Amino acid sequence: MEDNLQYIDAYFQQMLNAEQIRQFEQKIAEDPEFADEVAFYLAAKQSSKAAADQEKKERFRQLLSQQAPVINIDRGRNITRVWMYRVSAAAAVVVCLFLAWYFFVGNSASLEQMAEKYMNENFTTLSVKMSTEKDSMEDGKRFYNAGQLDSAVKEFASIAERDTGNYLVKNYLGIVYLRLGNYDKALQYFQNFEKDTLYSNPSLFYQALTLLKRNLPGDKQKAKELLLVVDKNELGEFETARQWLKKW
Amino acid sequence: MNLFNKPTLTADEREIIDSITQNGAGRKKGEERLFNRYAYFIREAVYKYSLPEEDAFDLYSDTIISAIEKIASGSFQGRSSLKTWLYSIFHNKYVDLLRKKTTNKNSVHNTLSISDLLLQVSDQSKTIVQKLVDKTDWEILRERLVQVGESCRQMLLLWADGYSDKDIAGLMEYKTSDVVKTSRLRCLEKLKQLYRKT
Repeated sequence: MEDNLQYIDAYFQQMLNAEQIRQFEQKIAEDPEFADEVAFYLAAKQSSKAAADQEKKERFRQLLSQQAPVINIDRGRNITRVWMYRVSAAAAVVVCLFLAWYFFVGNSASLEQMAEKYMNENFTTLSVKMSTEKDSMEDGKRFYNAGQLDSAVKEFASIAERDTGNYLVKNYLGIVYLRLGNYDKALQYFQNFEKDTLYSNPSLFYQALTLLKRNLPGDKQKAKELLLVVDKNELGEFETARQWLKKW
Repeated sequence: MNLFNKPTLTADEREIIDSITQNGAGRKKGEERLFNRYAYFIREAVYKYSLPEEDAFDLYSDTIISAIEKIASGSFQGRSSLKTWLYSIFHNKYVDLLRKKTTNKNSVHNTLSISDLLLQVSDQSKTIVQKLVDKTDWEILRERLVQVGESCRQMLLLWADGYSDKDIAGLMEYKTSDVVKTSRLRCLEKLKQLYRKT
């Protein structure tokens, strides 16, 4: 019987040649006992895989419980710990807000430079095709890349009107309005982008960027709060947010 | 979301993928780093998909386990960022979950699919083997896997998880891969005897 297992193992480890494979499969068809051995081999492997996955899940559950309380999957037993985490998180937010206020005045110039640099490096051209509205979207991007921002707005706005669920075009509209210096409109579209998509996206980072550019009283503080959320939750562009926060 | 021209994988992501691909002692660490890196998907599933916390955890864990398999087997090509790729798996699993819920198939683990394992088998043999596998009492087999002994169990779990005999030799401190192979087949035989006794 062990010989059979060795033979079966060799087949599934792809160690048999073409003729041996043919003979193996013929034996399955002609020898019910052998077929049963093959079935057991596969069932044992699948059952072992399920057990291995279950062990992994338990390991992941432990990892999650060691993390900050992004979520607690064992609420019943850990309510006390959850409250401790919540109090700690609230304290951390208070400290961060205080630091944001404390460093606010002295770093204004460098923050604006960072925002400007980011825009120059990332918003000069739109180059990714990610829409079913391929032609119109491409036209809008072509206008944008040629610096014809008003035409780009018209093109993107017509897509957004036709396809209200198209989150990507709202993001593009936010970017164009940001380039045009219409920060209120840019914020509005980036906020829409945040709401419409299911994906963890860079909209909060873009809102922070827009606030830094708008630079009305309170905007920098609000931008920093958003960057802290981006950093903490590793949302889109969190690496850049982290760098900015270090320099804040 | 990578809307603009940027490298698809960060150095950190490459490191994670390398450690999983190597299948050695570093794989476990790589798996944990992968899990931790995108654990915020769980919260997203709670808030955006309105899932209970336990379901969100299961969804994310299944996503990571599936991703680990694909990375270890070399299926992940790195054409998109790791996060984008993971999110697509995550979303597909969410859709599957919804489908299961609407058809009242809540218990995913009552039966186990062996379709992936049968990919290399010809159609005629596949039908025969599949019918026999369908008769498996998975609950009994799961219990017997515990009774087979810890060393055997650990070896079979590593084998089923895609580790080669050489990898297992390194992890379980066996002298050679041949010794592992012999031991593994003995363990399978033992499991079979235990299962057939019932």
